[in-house]
Amino acid sequence: MRHQNTTDHGTTAVNRLAGMRRRVVGSIAGLAGTMFLAGCATNAPQDTFQPKGPNAKIIDDLQKPVFAVAGIIGVFVTVVVIIAVFKFRDKGQPIPHQSHGNPALEITLTIIPALILTVVGVFTFRTVFDLAKTSDTEMIINVTGQQWWWEYDYPVQNEYGITQPIITSGQLVIPAGTKVLLRQTSRDVIHSYWIPALNGKRDAVPGRVHLNRIEADKPGIYAGQCTEFCGLSHANMRMEAVALSKADFAKWVANQLKPYASPAENTLAKEGETVFMNQCIRCHQVNGMKRADGTPVIAAPDENMVSGAAPNLSHLMSRNTFAGATFDLLNKSCREDVWGAESESFGAKYLGGVSEDCLNQTDLRGWLRNAPAMKPMYANPALLTSSGGKYRGMPNLGLTESDIEKLVAYLLTLK
Amino acid sequence: MVRRVRAEIGSAMFSTGSKYFFGITFLGAVSFAIYMLLIGESAIGATALFGLVGATGLLTALVLSTRDGSKDEEGVAASTAAPTASILPLIGAIGATLLLVGTITSPVVTLFGIVALLAAIVEWAVLSWSERASSDAAFNASLRKRLLNPIEFPVIAAVGLGVIIISFAQITLAIDKSVGAIAFIVLGSLVLAVGVLFSVRPSLKRGLVIGICVVGALGIVAAGIAGAGVGIREELVHAKEEGHYMHQECGAEKSKYFDKLPLEGVSATSSVDTHIDLIDGKLVASVQGIAGDQKTITIPRSNATNIVFRNMSDGEYRLVASLGSKMVTTDVKEDVVQCTQLIPQGSEQMLTLNIPKPAEAGKPFTLTVPGLTGQSIEVIVP
Ligand code: HEC
Ligand SMILES: [Cu+2]
Repeated sequence: MRHQNTTDHGTTAVNRLAGMRRRVVGSIAGLAGTMFLAGCATNAPQDTFQPKGPNAKIIDDLQKPVFAVAGIIGVFVTVVVIIAVFKFRDKGQPIPHQSHGNPALEITLTIIPALILTVVGVFTFRTVFDLAKTSDTEMIINVTGQQWWWEYDYPVQNEYGITQPIITSGQLVIPAGTKVLLRQTSRDVIHSYWIPALNGKRDAVPGRVHLNRIEADKPGIYAGQCTEFCGLSHANMRMEAVALSKADFAKWVANQLKPYASPAENTLAKEGETVFMNQCIRCHQVNGMKRADGTPVIAAPDENMVSGAAPNLSHLMSRNTFAGATFDLLNKSCREDVWGAESESFGAKYLGGVSEDCLNQTDLRGWLRNAPAMKPMYANPALLTSSGGKYRGMPNLGLTESDIEKLVAYLLTLK
Repeated sequence: MVRRVRAEIGSAMFSTGSKYFFGITFLGAVSFAIYMLLIGESAIGATALFGLVGATGLLTALVLSTRDGSKDEEGVAASTAAPTASILPLIGAIGATLLLVGTITSPVVTLFGIVALLAAIVEWAVLSWSERASSDAAFNASLRKRLLNPIEFPVIAAVGLGVIIISFAQITLAIDKSVGAIAFIVLGSLVLAVGVLFSVRPSLKRGLVIGICVVGALGIVAAGIAGAGVGIREELVHAKEEGHYMHQECGAEKSKYFDKLPLEGVSATSSVDTHIDLIDGKLVASVQGIAGDQKTITIPRSNATNIVFRNMSDGEYRLVASLGSKMVTTDVKEDVVQCTQLIPQGSEQMLTLNIPKPAEAGKPFTLTVPGLTGQSIEVIVP
C-alpha cells in the first residue's frame, strides 16, 4: 500500500514536470512565432531595417551584409552540430581513434574568421567615421533631454529665416534633404535620442554635448523614443522628427517667429489667459506674453522643476503630440489624416496645426485635470519637502472644470 | 603549522558563552548597517541598534576574557599567577574621560575618547584572556602577540607617521616658502646620512640607535608644535582671506596671494561646449559642432554649460560673464557676474554657466575681457 502510494506520487510529479515542459516549450514557440511575425509588420514606425535618410541608410548598408554573413555562418554551424550529434550518438560503438591537434586545420580556422572580421571591421570603421562627420552640416539644433521629454532650440540661422531663437518640444521639425546636426545634452540624467529611420542612437549626457547627424529624404513623421533608461516614465519619453519640404519649413519657421497675440477681450480664451498667468507661468514660458502692466512674463521652471525646465508652450498647437510625444493633440480622424498623408501633401496638413475641431479634447483635458494620472511622474505636492520643493513632471494642479474649459480655449490660440 | 596555531587559538578563544554574545553582536552590527542604509533618516532606531552592538560587544569582550567565568573551562585552573601590571586600565580611564569631556566640548575629543576606550578594551580583554590560557606565561604572551601584533604594528606605524607628517606640515606652513625647501633638503639629507651610518655600522649600540631616533622624532614633533604655535605665515593668511581656490575678482586684480595655479589647467576637455579664445586682441568663440568662429553662442536655459577661456594674447587676462541681474530680496537687485582668474598667455580656465532665465530685452548676456574694448561675445538663452 505504502509502496503503491509513492509510485502514485512519482507519476504525478512526472506528469507535472511534463506539463511544465509543454508549457515552457509552448511559450517559447509562441514567443518565437510572435517575433517572426512581428518582423513582417508593415506598420512598424521604429523598424531599424527601414532607413528613411542617408545616415540610417549607411548603417543599414553595413548591418544587412554583416547580418547575412553572420546568418549563413550561424545556420551552417548549427546544422553541422546537429548532424554530428545525431550521426555520432552513442550506439554502443567502440571509442574511435583519438587524435591530438591538426596545425593546418587550426591555422585555417583561425585565419578565415580573422579575415571575415577584418573585412567587417574596415567597413564598420568607415561607417563610424561617416556618421561622425560634421564638416558638411547645414543646420544646427540644440537638443536637451530631461525627465521625460525633449526640448529643441534652434539658434539664430538667418539662411533659414531663423532670425530669433526658436524653442519647442516633443516634435523635432527639420527641413527634408538637409544635413541637420543635433547638439545633444541633458539637464538631469542620461537619456538617448533615437529616430531609427534617420540614424542610430546617441546618448544625451549632462554636462556634455554629443553630436548627432540626421537627415530625412522625404517629408513625413519619423517616430522614436528615449533609449536610455531614465526613470519612472522612461517608456513615455517619446519623440518624433517631422521633416518638411524646404518651402514648408520656411513657413513653419515664420509661424514660430510670429509674435504673441493675446486673445480678444471678453472671450473664454482671454479668461483662460488669466488662469494661465495664475497657474502655469511658474513653469511654462509663452514668449511675448505680457502682464496687464506691460511687463514681460518670464517663467521660472528653475525654481519649480528638478530639471529646471518645462515645455515652452508659445506654439503648442503647431505640434500634434504632447507630454513627451506620448499623447495626441489631434483626435483620431484628424491624426490619421496627417500621419497617413502622402509625402507631397503631408507638409500642408502638418502646418495646419491643431484646430478646435481636430483637438483631442479628452487627453488634453485629462492632462490638465491630473497630469500624473496620465503619465507617471514624481509630482506629488505632498512630497515636495523630500525633493527640495521641486517636481519631476507636471503636478496635479487641482483645477476646476471651468478653469480647464477656459485653459483649453486659451491653449487653442497658441498656434 | 599555521593551521595548527589557528586551531589552538580557536579552541582556546571561543568558549560557548562568548559564541552566543558574539553572534548577537554580529547580528546587531548587520542590522545596524542595513538600518542605516535603508532607513537612515530616523536616528532613534540607529541609535538603539548602535547601543545594542556596543553593549553586547562589551559583554562579548568580558565573557571572552573571563572564559565564561567558568572554573571548569580549560586553562582557568592553570593560571594561578596574579595578572601582570598593565597601563591599559589607565588608557581606558583616560578614554572614558575624554569621551565625556568631548560631549560638552568638541566631537573630535569624543572621537579620541572612543578610540582610546575601544583600544584599551580590546587590548585588555585579549591580555587577560591570554594570561589564563595556560600555566606557561611565555606561551600566553606569544598567544597575545599572535593575535594582536598584526593589528598593533600597522596602527602604531600609521599613527607615528601621521604625527611626523603633521609636524612637518606645521613647520612648512609657518616658515618662509624658500627657507622651508632648504630646511627639508637639509633634514632629508640628515635622515639619509644617519640611516646609512646605521646600516654600515651594525655594531652600534642598540641604546644609541634608539636614542638618536627618539631625539630626532621628538625634535620634529617639538618643532611642529612650535610651528603651530607661531601660526601660518602671513601670505597664507592673506591668501585665505582672498578666497584661496574660489577666489573671484571680475575687474582689475586687487588680490595678491591667492593660489591661482590650481584652476589654470583644464582637464575636462571632452565636456567643453564652447572655447572662447583671445587671439591678437580679438575675442572669438568656437562652439562644438559648429564650423567657424562665432560672435554669439546659444545655450539652453537651466543647463550647466562648460566654456573654456584660452588666453593666446600677450599679457594676463580674464573672461567675465555678465549675466544680467537677479532679485536678492523683493526690491534689491544684484548683478550676476562670473569670471575666470587672470591667466597668462597660453593658459586656459573653465567657467560653468547655468543660466535659469532669458536675458531681459535690450540687456543681452555677454562674455567680455576687462581692458579690451569693443570685443564681446553674446550669450543667447532662448
Ligand atoms: C510645476 C511646474 C508646472 C506647472 C505649474 C504646470 N506645468 Fe505643464 N508641464 C510641466 C512639465 C514638467 C511638463 C512636461 C511633462 C512631460 O512631458 O513629461 C508639462 C507639460 C505640459 C503640457 C504638454 C506640453 C508639451 O509640449 O509636451 C501642457 C499642454 C501643459 N503642461 C500645460 C499646462 C498648463 C495649462 C498649466 C497651468 C494650468 C501647467 N501646464 C502647469 C510642468 C508644469
Ligand atoms: Cu529619457
